[in-house]
Amino acid sequence: MNVGLTSVGGAGGPLRYVVVKQRKWLSEREYAELFGVAQALPGATAVNYAVMISDRFAGPLGPVAALAGLIIPSLLVAIAMLGIASQLAATNARFAAAENAVTAAVAGIFLSNGIRLIAQIWRGTPDLRAAWRAARVAVSALGIVLVAGFHMFVPLAMLVLLALSMIIETRLRGVNEA
Amino acid sequence: MAAQAHLLLSMAWHFALISLFAIGGGVSMLIPQIHQEFVLQYHWLDERSFAELLAVSQAAPGPNFLLIPLIGFRVASWAGAGVSIVAFLVFPVTITFFVGRLLHQHENEWIARFRRAFRPITGGLWIASGLVVAAATDHGVIPVAITIGVAAVSLAFDISPLWWCIAAGIAGAVLA
Repeated sequence: MNVGLTSVGGAGGPLRYVVVKQRKWLSEREYAELFGVAQALPGATAVNYAVMISDRFAGPLGPVAALAGLIIPSLLVAIAMLGIASQLAATNARFAAAENAVTAAVAGIFLSNGIRLIAQIWRGTPDLRAAWRAARVAVSALGIVLVAGFHMFVPLAMLVLLALSMIIETRLRGVNEA
Repeated sequence: MAAQAHLLLSMAWHFALISLFAIGGGVSMLIPQIHQEFVLQYHWLDERSFAELLAVSQAAPGPNFLLIPLIGFRVASWAGAGVSIVAFLVFPVTITFFVGRLLHQHENEWIARFRRAFRPITGGLWIASGLVVAAATDHGVIPVAITIGVAAVSLAFDISPLWWCIAAGIAGAVLA
């Protein structure tokens, strides 16, 4: 389970490679399903995923070993990087500017991840009436306004949005069956 | 000593609470909340540290969740890192462990619906995270241009975000 060190910017890619291609623990489809469950549960997706996989394939101590393998090596590397980075940023204006630029890039990456997901929601179901797709996108938009605009307590915002979204999906199920 | 214990305990409490809401999109969805509590409300971190931790957590190898122990480390050294890992993981890992076993026995239908319902929320909160980070740390024209530029090019080319971080770092150093 030494996926941790080889995964940059989210462990999804390398995790899939090891579990599906290298070890052949799961098929592509089973992998996707289990990954979805890991995402739907609270916590860090990669950590949840490692817990479920290792519980199935590595015995009772599996989850403990998997968590240690996933977290400890990469955390030590990250802490070392942090030490070097803050040292350099404090003494070198050019490095400080570079670091600032990386944070700006991270903001951009979050924006594009969100935009990409919303575009998928819109385009992924071309058969669905535009009003339903617009309702889903409106949930996203409301989330942006509540959290970024009004700095609402995020757990509360999520509960409100989830209630709305579940109403939409439940109604939608009725439409599909009709 | 008492102050240190108090700091660790209150940080643990905040991470444990936050962890229960990291649903559908991992830690990055919760950045506005972490920023609100750790920087604005309790002043455990300043804006500069927050930005630095975010940059390192994205650029370092490993899951994005590393942001949590990195924050713990910056606030209260090794004890902080350890406490934040345990606090952030204890509830989710317990829940996942049992749900994983339950699902293995009989696949459940409601998960699919719940996931569909969560997708628009995740999308919105990711954008909110981008906006909150940009508002807190983009001072001047160059960082704003980098945020917008990276958002645009990474929409067009879906490659590992590490490359955008490296490119932005080089651009930032050259333009400084």
